Amino acid sequence: MSKILEQISENVLEGQTKKVVELVEQAINEGCPVKDIINEGLIAGMNEVGELFKEGEVFVPEVLISAKAMNAGMELLKPLIQDGDVKKIGRIVMATVKGDLHDIGKKLVGMMMEGAGYEIIDLGVDIPPEKIVEAIKEYNPDLLGMSAMLTTTMVSMKDTIETLKESGLYEKVKVMVGGAPVTPNYAEEIGAHYSGDATAAVELANNLMGI
Amino acid sequence: MRKRQNPFPGGLEGGLYKPLTQEGIMKIHKASMKVFEETGIQVNDERALKEFHNAGADVDFNKKIVRASESWVLDKIKTAPSKVTLYGREDKYNMELDGYKVYIGTGGTALNVLDIDTGMRRPSTLKDVQMAARLVDALDNIHYFVLSCYPNELDKKNVDVNRFYAGIRNTSKHVMGGVYTSEGIRNIVKYASLIAGSKEALLKKPFISFITCIMSPLVMDKDYTDLMITAIESGLPLATPTAPMAGSTSPATLAGTLVQMNVEALSGVLLSQIIDPGHPVLYSCVPTTTDLRTGAFCFGSIEMGMMNAACAQLSRFYNLPNYTTAGVNESKIPDIQSGYESMATTMLCALAGSNYIHDAAGLIESGLAISYEQYVVDNDILGMCMRAVKGIEINDDTLAVDVINEVGPAGNYLSNDHTVMNMKKEFFYNTVSDRNTRSRWEADGSLDGRERARRIAKQILANHKPLGVDKAIEDEILKEIPGMVQEWID
Repeated sequence: MSKILEQISENVLEGQTKKVVELVEQAINEGCPVKDIINEGLIAGMNEVGELFKEGEVFVPEVLISAKAMNAGMELLKPLIQDGDVKKIGRIVMATVKGDLHDIGKKLVGMMMEGAGYEIIDLGVDIPPEKIVEAIKEYNPDLLGMSAMLTTTMVSMKDTIETLKESGLYEKVKVMVGGAPVTPNYAEEIGAHYSGDATAAVELANNLMGI
Repeated sequence: MRKRQNPFPGGLEGGLYKPLTQEGIMKIHKASMKVFEETGIQVNDERALKEFHNAGADVDFNKKIVRASESWVLDKIKTAPSKVTLYGREDKYNMELDGYKVYIGTGGTALNVLDIDTGMRRPSTLKDVQMAARLVDALDNIHYFVLSCYPNELDKKNVDVNRFYAGIRNTSKHVMGGVYTSEGIRNIVKYASLIAGSKEALLKKPFISFITCIMSPLVMDKDYTDLMITAIESGLPLATPTAPMAGSTSPATLAGTLVQMNVEALSGVLLSQIIDPGHPVLYSCVPTTTDLRTGAFCFGSIEMGMMNAACAQLSRFYNLPNYTTAGVNESKIPDIQSGYESMATTMLCALAGSNYIHDAAGLIESGLAISYEQYVVDNDILGMCMRAVKGIEINDDTLAVDVINEVGPAGNYLSNDHTVMNMKKEFFYNTVSDRNTRSRWEADGSLDGRERARRIAKQILANHKPLGVDKAIEDEILKEIPGMVQEWID
């Protein structure tokens, strides 16, 4: 039993989606507890990826591919999951703010957070404050992540937070911001939390979630 | 698990940068031959003069001048091998100096060192030779070790044996070095034979080689030539560098300096082939410049890079492997100047396809001092140069039309298989360069390049264990070879 979990973990590490799907199916058929497949197989593999990433052994694209493999395994298990099988880490709504069309940085943060176990709701680019407020109401996320590439569009972050405060939603969600012109000071000024890159964003999210 | 291989190792083919046209090469050659015929070279060593005479050169014994015709020169250098292999004590470090293959390494002999702990300049010691060798052993993009500095605390007669042993003991990469006494050369060969298993084994796979110099303008000095002959007799590979300084010891034009340097470089090749036809010898060049504002010697000028790059073309015109010089700088500390000067000359020589670019790591202050930080910085510079040498690969996979189609407009390539397949072989990843965000850089202590390099150097020196020398053989060497220091770093 533990051998197959080890194989799942290894194939997550190697980013072998097909293999992970096969092995997870096999484990389910063999009657392996769902909780073990998740924790000792999929998550264990992803944790090792995280460690190797920190050491510089594994690169960003490999983290993303491992995350894909893990999620493919998760899809199979979803219908079988019962309460308590898996600890939900958190849900984040993400957007590139109004007037700004840059999204590779935000996508990277999203993918890294997905790899770390977060549920991602990506609203896209050029998203005005009202739309973000609507999404917060609809999805009730733990976190809101906003991105801007230009000094001229960065101010939309402040506008969005003001709108959140007016709608009484600001206290319900923790706000993360990032992007080239954003500084820790600016983030603090507008009432948000700053991280400098995708890895730091995951660390920040974990801190905010108390993980 | 995922052992990362160096995708840009020594031995990649350069040659895309050609500072000389075919016509230019021919003109330099013809001009050099005229100097050989009319001016000649001064040879201050009796035995060498006789060797030149017996081989058919025109020797004036009174004035100690050797003159020769173009046909004689071309005939005599014919026996020199077009390819010389310099071996490491591990096969992965073997270097085949052939065609336009590029290898880059360190140089010497500095008299000072910037202390790794205090950062202050002090006279170098035998321990510094050991530490530099050990550092180079661990740095991937430095392909061989030329003995770095002078052990100021030792008597001159004991320098050769201890300096070479300091190198060999701390790196299994090829060790080349300058020598000071004939007795030293003979004793080095003696213990190197012990390490190799026998003299034959050493000559078959020479993991050490010697440097003996020629003086500009146009002089084969008495002492150096005597050493050169002893080195030739050892059978080991030899470099006979000449270091004209354009504007002071050679003409104040690059072309004129190349003409004179060509005569000098060929003289070393000639002597080796007359004494020992087929001897593994390198066409050895150190063309430099003079800063005529002050008369200062320039080891890091851009013209130096251009001339050394041209040497790759000149040596191949004569079908010889070359030893060139780049990557040194005039800076007193590892800083902006040491970075751009080192990069400029090394890049030119690497792109030109120089076989053995020496002096390209660790040296600062026009070669008068070594810096541990600079070795680490140069390791990055050398890696960048080798990356450029490899060039842009064009094939169906690299053109990636299918991948572009798959990702489509507004997609991204970050988690594409094609990215993963290529990311470790297509890009060079610097170790000293900080590519983090400002906030992460600040969180890490806002360190500048020198300090980052210093920390890497310290970490390597604390942890890296080189191949070393077998204990029993070491005991024998320390006991039998006169003048050997008995205490070596752990």
